[in-house]
Amino acid sequence: MDTFVILRRSGWRSGEELQEAAARSTAEGERMPEDIRWIRSYVLEEADGVGTVCIYQASSPEAIRAHAAAAELPIDEIVRVADTVVVRPDPQPAV
Amino acid sequence: MAELLEREDLLAQLGALRVDGGRLVFVGGEAGVGKTVLVREFTARVAGRVLQGSCENLTTPTPYGPFLDVGVPTEGEPRHVAAALLRGLERTRLLVLEDVHWADEATLDVLRVLGRRIESTDALVLATYRDDEVDGSHPLRVVLGELTSAPAVSRLSVPRLSLGAIGELAEPHGADVEAIHRLTQGNAFYVTEILAAGDGVLPETVRDAVLARAARLAPDARLLLDAVSVVPARAELWLLEEVAAAELEHLDACIASGVLRADGDAVAFRHELARLAIESALKPHRRRYLNAAILAALRPAGDYSRLAHHAAAAGDSAAVVEYATEAGRQAAAASSHREAAAQYASALRHADGIEASARAALLDAYAEEAHVTGLYAEAVEARRAALDLYHALDDPLREGYTLSRLTIAYIRLGRNAEAEEASRGAIRLLETLPPGRELACAYADQAYARMLSRDNAEGVAWGEKAVAAAAALGDSTILAYGLNMIGTSYVMSGEIDRGVEYLLQSLDVARSEELEVWVVSALGMLGSGLGEMVELELSERFLRECITFSEDHEITPSYSQAWLALVQVYRGRWEEGARLASAVLARTPDPISRISALIALGRLRARRGDPGALDALDEALESARPGGHLQRLGHVHAARAEAAWLAGDATRTVQEAATAYPLALEKRHLWFAGELAYWQWKAGALDDAPEWIAEPYRLQLAGDAAGAAAAWRNRLCPYEAARSLADAGDEGALAELDALRARPAAAALRRRLGLRGPRDSTRGNPAGLTARELDVLRLVAAGKRNADVADELVVSPRTVDHHVSAILRKLRVRTRGEAAVAAAELGLLQDR
Repeated sequence: MDTFVILRRSGWRSGEELQEAAARSTAEGERMPEDIRWIRSYVLEEADGVGTVCIYQASSPEAIRAHAAAAELPIDEIVRVADTVVVRPDPQPAV
Repeated sequence: MAELLEREDLLAQLGALRVDGGRLVFVGGEAGVGKTVLVREFTARVAGRVLQGSCENLTTPTPYGPFLDVGVPTEGEPRHVAAALLRGLERTRLLVLEDVHWADEATLDVLRVLGRRIESTDALVLATYRDDEVDGSHPLRVVLGELTSAPAVSRLSVPRLSLGAIGELAEPHGADVEAIHRLTQGNAFYVTEILAAGDGVLPETVRDAVLARAARLAPDARLLLDAVSVVPARAELWLLEEVAAAELEHLDACIASGVLRADGDAVAFRHELARLAIESALKPHRRRYLNAAILAALRPAGDYSRLAHHAAAAGDSAAVVEYATEAGRQAAAASSHREAAAQYASALRHADGIEASARAALLDAYAEEAHVTGLYAEAVEARRAALDLYHALDDPLREGYTLSRLTIAYIRLGRNAEAEEASRGAIRLLETLPPGRELACAYADQAYARMLSRDNAEGVAWGEKAVAAAAALGDSTILAYGLNMIGTSYVMSGEIDRGVEYLLQSLDVARSEELEVWVVSALGMLGSGLGEMVELELSERFLRECITFSEDHEITPSYSQAWLALVQVYRGRWEEGARLASAVLARTPDPISRISALIALGRLRARRGDPGALDALDEALESARPGGHLQRLGHVHAARAEAAWLAGDATRTVQEAATAYPLALEKRHLWFAGELAYWQWKAGALDDAPEWIAEPYRLQLAGDAAGAAAAWRNRLCPYEAARSLADAGDEGALAELDALRARPAAAALRRRLGLRGPRDSTRGNPAGLTARELDVLRLVAAGKRNADVADELVVSPRTVDHHVSAILRKLRVRTRGEAAVAAAELGLLQDR
């Protein structure tokens, strides 16, 4: 599996909507464990709501799109990750 | 039973599956993990009769091996055996097939049918296999891949034992639990063998453990064990009486010690791992001696695969030639082509002494099966050896026929110059003889080579010679072949109606004479040829017909599915195209099918702005190169030019397009010449193109963007239509490009127009509900349960739960009924 960054800019009106989307994302991801693994997401503060930058491992960009269609998640752009440089661990998540 | 620890969950799952019925379950796990023990325990708990069969670890397995014990007729084609089996499963609702990683090709074909048809029965079929041995190219893996989309097929994995379970087992023995766990990694068979071996010192491998346990038997009992070990699967008692009569009295001791188990009129090792351990410890001369004795005893029974196996192990070349040849014939008749090829190859390896004509016949038989199996290089080698023999034997008819078969094998390998030479040689030789089937076939082969090179006029001419010869002979196979070549050549030259007419004639002949392969070929040529000519509606109809017919006749329709993926991409049905292309790529190693699927995926990724377009198109180019045919190279280079353009690389766009353009011009290919000219024109490297290129491209290059867009819409290509408008800076293209999610093309147009881009959105309407939530709400309002909604929308039931709670929250209601009422009041239930 390759690692991908998925941009979902201004995808939701509120954090509550995003949480619902996250639940759907998990449910659909469990249906295709050989094709997709959600690693983590950064929630973006946007002028009109919230967006995300998501890190996934996936067998193909098509698997990411199939997952997004099933879980009703928007996709602005999918970029493949060439390498990972971890300087410090992520800051403590809010939840 | 040791291995039964930690298996109650699996047993409960199997029990539930049996109650529901209509399921095929693959039970996977490493060798020795306890699959068989699990399945035996399950069948023991179930009331009623059980059908059972197992695949054997023979050098080359017997066709339909596991079904020989099941009581269905095992002759003829896999679909007939499968049909008989399905009828049998109406009475006996449980079938267990063991060790299907060793299954022969015919058995795997039966499993394919079972996977697709089992749903219509109440039966449960369990098939055990070693999941760690089923790697990339393993035939079972291909079957598992194909059946992933079959709803009635599932997999169950038998896990290793935990430390706790080992502790429970080891406790009475006072053994070192941690050490056993480290050594065995929880492999149930290994654990049992270690505990049975006793002795304090822990054996380093399973083999050591088995040998340590066997070492505790009396020497004569060990001799009996040796004899049983050279018989794969199970040794019949009558056979042991023939080859180990003196030691047979020790059978009870072997069974009591747990090394062997009784199995009806036969005995078997408790596990194949144990048999292999004992067999591998035999001295070479003793192994040969035992195999020779078993061969002698088995001769009257006439099971040729078994005889060939023991003949090879006994080093008896004459017997190998005799039995492997017979076994090959039997396997070929059962459509177990892989096994047939393996048997003939084995016969050939032992055939040094036989006379030339017999050897040539064996080479023919091998080449035929190797070709069907896709081993084209091996087929070529065998044909060439046969060619020399027929030449020396002064048999010009067989020599000519061999050259004609060689032509096709060379074509498959992309060795076109050699194909041409062989084809001309065949015609030259056969034309010196009275007219016959061989010559008619050689004409059709030449037509095929010309058609593939898109030398369409020559394809028609040679096709007509083949048809005339076939008609004179009354040979319907070559008639169907010749008509097919004429029709395809006409389609490719742009004479669509005429070409379709010939192909439909070919289809008629093939249908009325039940020539399945030619039915598939005619439908496939209609589908792919019309696709290449961008007659998408008709193309799609024939492709779907081809897929349905193929599946009904157990032929894998990879090429048609790959072309259907392309057609869907061109029609703007991108999800469907992605799904089909990915399915083909996951399943087939056949380069011809892969090229089309890779082009579909490459174009799709480029148009969506997704990563990996070049990965797909690199593999496509790699596979297209050896043949050097326009039909692949033109297509691949056009797709690569498009991907380069969308990635913003004008230089590479021109390079890619210019590479195949001269060939497309030479062959007058309307669509490839059109697209390749278009990309060079767009990148500013070409001013005009011949008048004869396909209409939409001609209009585009003439500066009539609106006309080109209309022509594309008539051809059902929404993306190309929008692209034509976007080329002229028409803002009207944006809606279509956004709807397709064609990010790079939409972004380029927005930049040109100075517009900012919208975000991709699944945000809701003013009532706050998203499109998917509306879908769910409509189904809920229609009274459907969440599980039904999930099925209908092809999502997880939990996703539906989440949607329903979001709907309740947004509509500020508490129940589904209230939601339906609120939805009706808000006017949300009308169709969009």
